[in-house]
Amino acid sequence: MRLRVNGQEVEAQEGTLLLEITDPPHLCYHPHTETRGICRLCLVEVDGRLLPACTTQAQEGMEVRTDTQELQTLRRTLLEWLALTTDLGQAPSLLALLKAHHGQPQRWGKLPLNRREREPIRDNPFFLRDYAKCVNCRLCVDACGDGIMGVYALALEGRGLMAHPTTPLDRPLPETPCVFCGNCLQVCPTGALRPLSAEV
Amino acid sequence: MEKPSLLPLLDARLPLDEEKVAEAARLAGIPLAQAWGVVRYYPRYRGLPQGRLLVDDPVARARGFPRLLEKADGTHPPLGLEALSPIHVRVEGEKRFVEWEGRLVPFREFRLPFALGHGNRLLPSEPIQELAQYEALGGLVFLRRALENLLAPGAILEAVEEAGLLGRGGAAFPAHIKMRAVARGEAPRYLVVNADESEPGNFKDRFLLEHHPFLVLEGTLLAALATGATRVFLYVRDEFEAAILGLEKAIQQLEEARLLPVPTEVFRSGGLYICGEETALLESLEGKRAEPRLKPPFPVEKGLWGRPTLVQNVETLANLPLILKEGPGSWRQKEPKLFSISGDVAHPGLYELPLGTPLGEAVERAGGDPKGLKAVLLGGAAGVFTRDFALPLRYKGRIPLGAGAIVAFAKEVDLWEVLLGLAEFFREESCGKCFPCPLGTAVQVEMVRRRERDRDLVGHLGQALKGSLCGLGQSAYWAYQSLLEVEDAA
Repeated sequence: MRLRVNGQEVEAQEGTLLLEITDPPHLCYHPHTETRGICRLCLVEVDGRLLPACTTQAQEGMEVRTDTQELQTLRRTLLEWLALTTDLGQAPSLLALLKAHHGQPQRWGKLPLNRREREPIRDNPFFLRDYAKCVNCRLCVDACGDGIMGVYALALEGRGLMAHPTTPLDRPLPETPCVFCGNCLQVCPTGALRPLSAEV
Repeated sequence: MEKPSLLPLLDARLPLDEEKVAEAARLAGIPLAQAWGVVRYYPRYRGLPQGRLLVDDPVARARGFPRLLEKADGTHPPLGLEALSPIHVRVEGEKRFVEWEGRLVPFREFRLPFALGHGNRLLPSEPIQELAQYEALGGLVFLRRALENLLAPGAILEAVEEAGLLGRGGAAFPAHIKMRAVARGEAPRYLVVNADESEPGNFKDRFLLEHHPFLVLEGTLLAALATGATRVFLYVRDEFEAAILGLEKAIQQLEEARLLPVPTEVFRSGGLYICGEETALLESLEGKRAEPRLKPPFPVEKGLWGRPTLVQNVETLANLPLILKEGPGSWRQKEPKLFSISGDVAHPGLYELPLGTPLGEAVERAGGDPKGLKAVLLGGAAGVFTRDFALPLRYKGRIPLGAGAIVAFAKEVDLWEVLLGLAEFFREESCGKCFPCPLGTAVQVEMVRRRERDRDLVGHLGQALKGSLCGLGQSAYWAYQSLLEVEDAA
């Protein structure tokens, strides 16, 4: 099967995700979880429409563009907004992306509604839940639930910008079904969940 | 697979405590984590704000919002009452009232005044809430024909196609394409009526549900027969209690008259703007957080419980009996559309006008004077400001009609105040699932607050919001961008 990516003809297998044959930045995609198409950083233009490369399968004759002016603006802006609202101090890859996209978060002014003020939660001996660093990609919720473990010790709280993962009934983790398997830490891309052993 | 939906189980246990949530989760057969995510999503499970609440809609924003807010304990999202003037809601425990002409009217008794303005008049000119009354005016003829096999499902589909009916919820997608796609799908198939009208400035669906329940139900059942749907759900905005009670009574009357070929039930909406987005609506019906799904697959292929599902707006379905009665050709010539016209006009209300009517004429019909207006907001929150009064009100035009809201603003109105209300509305209603929408709508509020006119910045805001997962985020900046254009043109 053949398609065109940025004007170049590309050969691909039936059912291949565009993410596998193109190289847009991405954050919420993980091959072991069901989380898909949330961060929108991997959006590409397919026959004039914006589609996430992590959920879109290559098709015969597709015309894909991955780096138009519009997509660059979209990615730069999204990265700036993330840096504006969230502590990316433990997310070096996102900071590198921000730099690569010439991001200037300060051009948006101050945002009183902010994730940075959240206090870390230390409710177990193994890891920290530091939601000031959480971008709400849901990878941890999915890894704990449908995606990997099927334990369901994490839930989602709220709506809008301040939505974030929590525990059932907001209980401390040891009072939930959590088995401390560490899968949530493994998938967290921003250091919002990190082992206490790494804390100095 | 079909499971008991969590929402009615939670509704039956209000006010909630931890034990009740756990019990509802057990009965729904889902992990407590999933149930907790739902409880922490919908406002009515988190506990409603109490006291005297000002309905935060564009008209209230145009009437000195901060001053009005001083006499309120908080705000309440729009209810489809914008036709008239700023209005308050009183919440006491689980009881809710509308403050109406100096009286406290319980939600279960409150209906929009029957304010049908002059127009093309395919809609009956009086409310019809009784079966006998509906039949006396020629209603149910086509449903009876369909039930007696005198009107084939294919003939209903052909009529809808010939009429060229476009979805009236805002997206204007051809109704027959959706219907045929569902009809081709494998059984079981479902039909869901999207009656979650929550768009500021729109009150046409509320009006139809409250005053013409049989028209809505006849259209719905015709669509169910045409698509072979085996179950019908009417997903009705939670606050429209009078409409919910009226529909339940009408369904019962149809059943008693043996005119209900498909099991039909009313489902109380989650009560949020996003619940009207068709895939979020389906999630909500299934008892989850009302968050939009990735498309494709579209609901016509994989909808409710993964089955082919027709999700259609109230006004769209109400047109089916009218198309059959009028004849598709004649209906197409008239192309009737309901417009909610409000704000600075002498006779706010619902107007049935042919598509193509110039905006200025629509405003004049409602007793407004285009010369005295600064602009109108066309389409609602997901709409645009314009002062192009020659603009023909068409779906395929330059400016989106949305669901047909027209809110007029007089010269002295500060449109930035109105815009701030819209921006705050989007920030509050963003579900938070994808990244651009919750981030962008929060940033937008601050930009509007400081009256940011930098074209690059506003352009980049729009570019990023365009990448949102669903229409809520994708349209959140339209009003902002259009206000700058209106200012430039002035």
